[in-house]
Order: sequence, then structure tokens, then C-alpha cells
Amino acid sequence: MKRQDSIIHILTSRSFRQKKGRNIVAVFAILLTAMMFTTLLTLAMSMEKNLTEMYLRQSGTSAHATARDITDEEISVIASRPELQSFGRSIVVGIAENEELAGQQVEIRYGSEQYARDSFAFPTQGRLPEAEDEIALDTLTLKRLGIPQETGQQVTLVWRPDLSSDETVYSTFTLCGWWEGNQSSYASMAWVSEDFALDACGGAKQPAEGQVLGQRMMSITFPDTGHMEEQIDSLLSECGLSDLEFNVNLTYSGEFDQMIFQECLPMYLGMILIFVAGWLIIFNVFQISVASDIRFYGELKTLGATSKQIRKIIYGQGNRLCLIGIPAGLILGYLLGLLLMPVLLHASGSDPEISANPIIFLGSAIFAYVTVILSCLMPARLAGKLSPVEALRYTDAAADTNIRKKEKKSRRGAGILEMAWANLWRNRKRTVIVICSLTLGLVLTSFFYAKNESFDMEKYLTDLTVADYQIDDATNNLADGYDPESDTISETLLSEIGSIDGLEETGNLYCRQISGVLSETARANYASFYTEDRLQEFSSYDPSYPQWKEEYDRALAGEAVPFTIYGTDGPVLEAAVSDPYILDGAWDEGAFSTGNYVIAIGPAAEEGTGQPTFSVGETVNIEGRDFTVMAVVSPLQPMVEGSAPVFEVPLIIPSGVFTQIWPDSSPRKYYFNVDDEAMQEASDLLTAYQEEEAPGMNITSRQTIAEQYEAQTRSSSVMGYAISAIIALVGVLNFINSMITAIISRKREFAMMQSIGMTKRQLKKMLICEGLFYAGLTLIASYILSSAAVGIIVRAITAGGFSTFHFTLLPLVICTPILLLFTVILPHICFYNLEKQSIVERLRQAD
Amino acid sequence: MSILTAEHLIKQYGREPNIVRALDDVSLSVEAGEFVAIIGSSGSGKSTLLNMLGGLDRPTSGSVRVDNFELNKLSDEDLTVFRRQRIGFVFQNYNLVPVLNVYENITMPIRLDGKQADESFLGEITSLLGLEDKLSRMPNMLSGGQQQRVAIARALAGKPAIVLADEPTGNLDSKTGDEVIRLLKETGRRFRQTIVMITHNPEIAEQADRTIRIEDGKIHA
Repeated sequence: MKRQDSIIHILTSRSFRQKKGRNIVAVFAILLTAMMFTTLLTLAMSMEKNLTEMYLRQSGTSAHATARDITDEEISVIASRPELQSFGRSIVVGIAENEELAGQQVEIRYGSEQYARDSFAFPTQGRLPEAEDEIALDTLTLKRLGIPQETGQQVTLVWRPDLSSDETVYSTFTLCGWWEGNQSSYASMAWVSEDFALDACGGAKQPAEGQVLGQRMMSITFPDTGHMEEQIDSLLSECGLSDLEFNVNLTYSGEFDQMIFQECLPMYLGMILIFVAGWLIIFNVFQISVASDIRFYGELKTLGATSKQIRKIIYGQGNRLCLIGIPAGLILGYLLGLLLMPVLLHASGSDPEISANPIIFLGSAIFAYVTVILSCLMPARLAGKLSPVEALRYTDAAADTNIRKKEKKSRRGAGILEMAWANLWRNRKRTVIVICSLTLGLVLTSFFYAKNESFDMEKYLTDLTVADYQIDDATNNLADGYDPESDTISETLLSEIGSIDGLEETGNLYCRQISGVLSETARANYASFYTEDRLQEFSSYDPSYPQWKEEYDRALAGEAVPFTIYGTDGPVLEAAVSDPYILDGAWDEGAFSTGNYVIAIGPAAEEGTGQPTFSVGETVNIEGRDFTVMAVVSPLQPMVEGSAPVFEVPLIIPSGVFTQIWPDSSPRKYYFNVDDEAMQEASDLLTAYQEEEAPGMNITSRQTIAEQYEAQTRSSSVMGYAISAIIALVGVLNFINSMITAIISRKREFAMMQSIGMTKRQLKKMLICEGLFYAGLTLIASYILSSAAVGIIVRAITAGGFSTFHFTLLPLVICTPILLLFTVILPHICFYNLEKQSIVERLRQAD
Repeated sequence: MSILTAEHLIKQYGREPNIVRALDDVSLSVEAGEFVAIIGSSGSGKSTLLNMLGGLDRPTSGSVRVDNFELNKLSDEDLTVFRRQRIGFVFQNYNLVPVLNVYENITMPIRLDGKQADESFLGEITSLLGLEDKLSRMPNMLSGGQQQRVAIARALAGKPAIVLADEPTGNLDSKTGDEVIRLLKETGRRFRQTIVMITHNPEIAEQADRTIRIEDGKIHA
């Protein structure tokens, strides 16, 4: 057996070494294939890793499930269960209300070590508090408070033991540890000792009604993440605590996996495309190589090599090519992944982690290897199956087509064009494969280009901002609601903005909460809008549903519920009542400015009457004044974004009327436009104000949003173009390889034609015509398929959203002359090489 | 004892109405140790006949029996194994494997069979053919006559039942050709090897123990 292997081995390795040209092309193709697989897998895996991390941070814990409303006894019963991998517990004290912390939620709590680790809040410097006056904080909080990162620093936090009263308590601690804060976390932790927490709640076992002080919490983690709900149910029933409610961390739910899959779908689709492109070229390379070696295989067969032995030689060559191409591809691919990942995850802000999961390398290697083996499959079978007599007679061109035509009617004689056209189809399969390969790249490029082009920045920006700059009051986003008394947007700031040269337009948004009662019509609107199905759906995804439902029921019962009154003018008003937002009624600027009208904000729903709010034409009473409902609009994000009661009835009145009703109001949001030259001045002014006076103030600039968006989408367009570019490159490589081998294998034929009187010019012309036919067919296929891809698929996926569909085939138009030029130059070069040998020399050459 | 028998061999190419009958009811038998020449002009069907005898191609009808093997009954894969164990081929264009050296070319069929070459026997063949100092040369470094001697050595190395030689001198000048025939004959006698040779040259055919003439696919006695 050893001996037999060794002769096959010798044949494999010697014939391998002979085919340098083929090997270069094949290794390059395998390298590109493996590289793209690795890059795409790296991106997909890193994406998954980062998204999981991000979602865990947003959910605030890496534990599998958490419970609030739990007692110490219940915690100790559950903690003793062996099926848990770990558990953590926490006691809530309150929320820090220091002024410097406005805009950031800092929860004062006791947390066990595991709880702190689960919450991404375990001190990396120092330790968790032990003594009663110790505290551990994150760097974000320390920065806000202006406290250096140094143990022993004094920290004073303001908090309210009783949330229903305004009475605050000052507690001073000594800093004993800190960790890096993360912007995407919903809240920061301020860890205090268990003694402090127990002291603060006076030994109470659970919080009083409507309070948080003394609330116990528990986080649990199982050894695996499968069937979370069932694991929890069985745990609780084992403990006899079936009434207890644990919330599953949404990151571990199936929906989240599905979401990750969707995010990574483009990568997986890219891999399939790369697979197709890789197959097309590697297959072609092997097919050509086997065809040109067919005599060699025939001889071997005559001398007694079995089909299996011949297949072994071909696979052996494939393996050798893989041995060079795949490792190089893995390395290059991973490096490319490292390069692209930051671009891809730019939006998330923090430094993305790159996955180095062995699956990336293993998976890519296997995927690339399978591509190569599948590509060798048919050529190997062809070589193995040929009978020796056939193999000895086989010529590349004839065996494939077997001259299907019985006769040819033409009597015009062999024109150069006709000959070129006929030559193209001597090997039908190869011609089709090369055309497919080239077309794939071109169609993909057109597709990605058209998709990117259809994005409409203006549409996108209008949805996020209505002016060049928007500033929000520091309390706009606070968990316990916007405070109308807060005056972040002060008179001073407004006058500074007013003094900017080049200020073009300004707009205010005032806002107050009042109590109001819905009219009967409005109640009927609500009742008919929120059908059973809608409520069911609502409850399935919104955790605040129970509170909402409570308020909703009260609203329907005719009791007073929160009304949010917006007083507004300028660009934000124009945007809010612009055509796409009007659901019912009609906007009349003149009438609205009289101050007798109100605009009701409905849900983001379809147009029509019966929106769940007041109907058009109804009268609404606000603080003793009557207003007529002019129109119902859907909510404009730049206007309504911010904290709001779970259930509210939002209404818009002119800002002039608003300040008449509430004379001492400062804006909740302020919008202004400046000309291009004043952009820098405005940015500087706002940033300086934010740093010095109002750290909690939020600044949104159209420019930064546009830049952010571009950074965010640059990655996906880069990816798309990278994939199409590589596939196009593979196509071109395939074309070059086929063209060159077709010319070389016809060396003798050309010499024969020259010997019977074909001039060099004519021969060259024939070869160029062949090239042009290739290009022509490729272009025809590309134009037809690209038109379909752009006209049907891109049109469909860009419908709605922030896109405006434009039909464009620009990349194809650009590639057309390049491809044509290419097909002219390539035969030229080949012919030049051919010319180096005399006709007689070429005629004499046996093979 | 006949080591090779062919009965009523017919080989047709093409389809109605353009059937070409390359072999038309050919029967022959060859005794062990015989040196037989099959002579015929170009297109007479002699190469087709040799392909049938060596199991390279299958007849349309009729049977070939070599060393008690009925070739019709063998599968393609078995036929390949049969070929490398019992038939030694010598071709007009030598058909040496260009990537293997002389020694490797000679031993290739044996090694394809998973066996070891009988070194002393090999030594005998190569010294008889004058190849002992050329064993590590690559084929493209050898003259035509030398290449054909390598092919003869390869054909003999596996101790086949028959050596089939297809115009072994066709690509050689007459002096080298004579030399090759002499060697073929000598080795055949020395190792008691049955040889069937195809040629269109009557002078060369004369060197054989017996001559079979084939014309238009039929044997002329």
C-alpha cells in the first residue's frame, strides 16, 4: 500500500511542479476565496460578540434572569439549589440626585460580588465596599462629580429615602474602588456596603408601597442558556416558590439570536456568493488543466492506473494548492477583518472586540477546502472516466461539443468573425463559466451601487433632526420625567445664540404635563383603536404595558390622565405638521397662529379618522382656555423624544399661547439653523456651554448625525463593494486564465493556419474578435441581469424607509469600456508571446 | 498452448448510415513464447485490433481471451488491473511519463499495482537494453531509440503474459529501428515472452516468427 501511494505521490508532486502558471492562478483564487470567507466569518462572529455584549450592557446584567420583589428568605432558598451556576443579590437604596449627575441615572445599592460582576460593575481598581461608609463608583460618575480616581476620596451623594416627598438626604462616603463606566449601560451603579443599605431601610424586609428603598433583587445564572423559561419554572417549583417572578434576560431569548442572525445575514450571503465565484474559477482552472493533461492521464490509464488512482492525482494537486492558498488566505482574511471591524461597528462608540474564535479559522478553512474539492470533483471524474483510447485521442475542443452540428449551410466561407464566433463555442462549458464569473461581479457591483445610491440623507435627517442644531434641557431624558422648572436653555444661552452672525431660523419647544379628561369621542376613538389584538400585541413586547393599561383604563373611565402640552414654533412646528405627518384634518398656518387651535398627536399609525386621541373639530380645554382640534399628526421624533409618562395625551399649541398660560417657562428643546460659515462658531458655543454650565444638556447637530450615519453605512458599502470587487477580480482572473490557455493550447492550430496563408493581422483580428465576443456576451448578460436586480430587487428593498429609488447602472456603464479594452489588449499580449517562435517550430511541437 | 485467442471480432464505428467496420470478423490465436507480426497498411484496422487484444477498447461483438481471462467479462476497473498485470505495451510515440525518470517509468506499472519491482530481473533487462547508466535521466534527455528502449523495459518489467507493440519503430530512423526490433526479439527469446507487434513495414515483419496480414478489417492468410 505504501509503495502504491508513493508512485501516485511522485506523479502528483512532479506534475504539480510542472504547472506553475496554473498553480499561481489557482492559489490566488483559493487565497481570495479563503480570505473572504475568513473576513466575513470574522465580521459575523465579532458582530455577534459585540452585539451580545452591547445588549447585555443595555439590559444591565449578564445574569440569565433577575427577580425584584423577592425576600431574603426566598433568596436563600433559591441560592441553595444545585442547578444554579451562580447567583447574586442586591439591596436598592435609592437614586443619586446630585445636580452634577443630571442626565445620568446613578443607583445607590448594595450588591454582592457576583451581582456586581453580573452588572458589569465590579471594581477593576480597589474593591467593593466593606465598611459602612465606603462606596465604589464607575469612572463616568466620578468624572461627573469631579472626583479624582483615587481611593480615600470623599463622595457625597444626595438621595431621597421617600420618593413621595421632596426631602433629600446627604450621605458622605469614602471611595474604595472604581471601574470603567460604559455609555451604553442604562444606569450607573454606586455600590455601598450591606450594612449601609440595611441601616438605610431600617431593617425593613421589603420596600414600602411605591418606594424602592429596601428592595431586594436577585440575579441567577444557569450553566447553559437553553430553554430559559423552563429552567426557571422548574427551579421555582422545586423551591416551592412558583409565585415568584423572574425576568429572563432578553439577550438570551431566541428572538435575540434571530436578530443577531439577521445582522449577520449579509455576511452569510456574501459567503455564498464568494463560494459561487470561487467554484466558478477553481473549477475552470482544474477543468482546463485536466483537459490539457488528458493525454497524460490516458497514458497512465493505458499503463494500468485505475480511475481511482487518477482521481487521487487530481485531488492531490487540489490539496497541495489548498495547503498554500488556505493558510495565507486565513491570515490575510483575519487581518482584513481586523481592519474592517472598527468601521463596521463605528456607531457603537466603544472599541469593538474582535472575535478570535477558532470556529472562524476552522470554518473558513473547511469552507474553502470544500469549495476546492467540489471544484475538482467534475474534472477528476472526467479524467478518471475516460477510456484510454479516448484519452489518447482527446482534444480539448472536440470532446466537449462533439460537433453537434451535422452540417453547416454557410457557403460564405470562413470569415474572421465567423471563425471567432465558432471558436468561442468550441468549449461551451468554459465560455459559459467565464461569462457567468464576469457577470456575477458586475451585477453585484451594480446592485450595491444602486442600493447605496437610493439612500436619501434628507429623508433620514428630517426624521432625526429638524434644524442644524437642537439642544435639549438636561432633564429631557431623566427617568423620573422632564422638569419644566429646569432652565438649562437659559436666557443667557439664548441671547448668545441670538448673537451668532449667520443665525437663520430658530424654534422653541415648551412642554408641560397637566391632568385632563378625555372627551367621549376621544374615549370612543381609543376604545376602537386598541382592539383586543392590538392590546395583546402591545403587551407581548412592552414591559411597561401593565402600568400603561392601568392608566388607559382610567382614561376610558373618564378619570383625569396626563396631558402633555407642547408649545412650539419655527422649524420644529413646520416639520411636525408637514404633509407626511398629517393623519387627519389639514394644517392651516394662519388659523393656528390665532391661538384658538390645537394639534393632537396620535400614534405612528396609518392615516384616517378615529385615531386614539381627540377628533378633528372637537374642543379641548387647557388650563381654562378652549381650543379646537385642527389636525391629528403622527409623532415627530425630534419633538417628542425624551422621557414621558407611560400613558399621555400629547397636544401642540403655539408657543406664544403656551408662554401666556405659563409665563415663566424655559424651553425643553431649542432648534436653530445657521449658515455654513457660522457652523463652527455655533458648535464651539454649545460645547463650551455644555462643559461649563450644563453637562446634562444634549446637543444634536445635523452635521454630526450625517457624519455618524456616513460612518455607520460606510462599512456596509465598503463590505458590499469589497465583495463585488473581489468577485469581479475573480471573474477577470478567470477570463485571463481561459483566454491565455485557449490561445496556448491552439498554438499548433494557429501555426497551421498561418502556414496555409492566414496573415498575422488576420490571426490577431480573430483573437481580438473572440475577446470582444466574450465581453459582448458578458455585457449583454450583465445589463439584463443588473436591470432586473436594480429594477426589481433594489426597488423593492428601498421602498419606504429613508430611501428614494433611482434606477442606475452607472458602475456597469463605467465598466463597459474597461472590459472591452481589456478583451482587446489581452489577446494582443498573448499573440506577442506566441510570435516569439517560428511557425515551423510551433508546427513541430508535439504537445 | 494458446496464450491469446480472438474469435469473430467485429468493431464498428459511427451510426447508420455511416457505419465504418474497422474489424470484420477477425479470429486469431497466438502461442506462448511466439513473436507474431500483424502487418497491414494505414487504415487496415491493425491498431484497432491491437487495442482490442490489449483491453484498451471493447469490440462490438466477438471475444478476446488472454491467459485464460475473458476480457468481455471484466469491468473497466478490472480491465485496467488486468492490463497492468498481464499486458506490456510499446507505443509508436513511446508514451513515457515526462515527469518521471527512466527508472520510475520502468517500474511505474508495477508500483501502480502496489508491488515492488524485482530488482535483479530489472537489472537484467536494463543491462540487456543498455539502459543501466541512464536510470536517473528524464525522458526528454533521451534520444528516440533510447526512449523506445525504456518503453520496452517498462513493457517487460512486470513479466506480462503478452507484450503488445504498436509500430514500435514508426518514429525512428531505419538503423535505430532495426536495433530496437533486434532488442525486442532478443529479450522476447531470453525471457520466453510472447510478443505481438504491429507494423506496416514488411522488412520488419519478416523478423517475426509468424506474420498475419490484415486488410480492410479482415485477415488475409
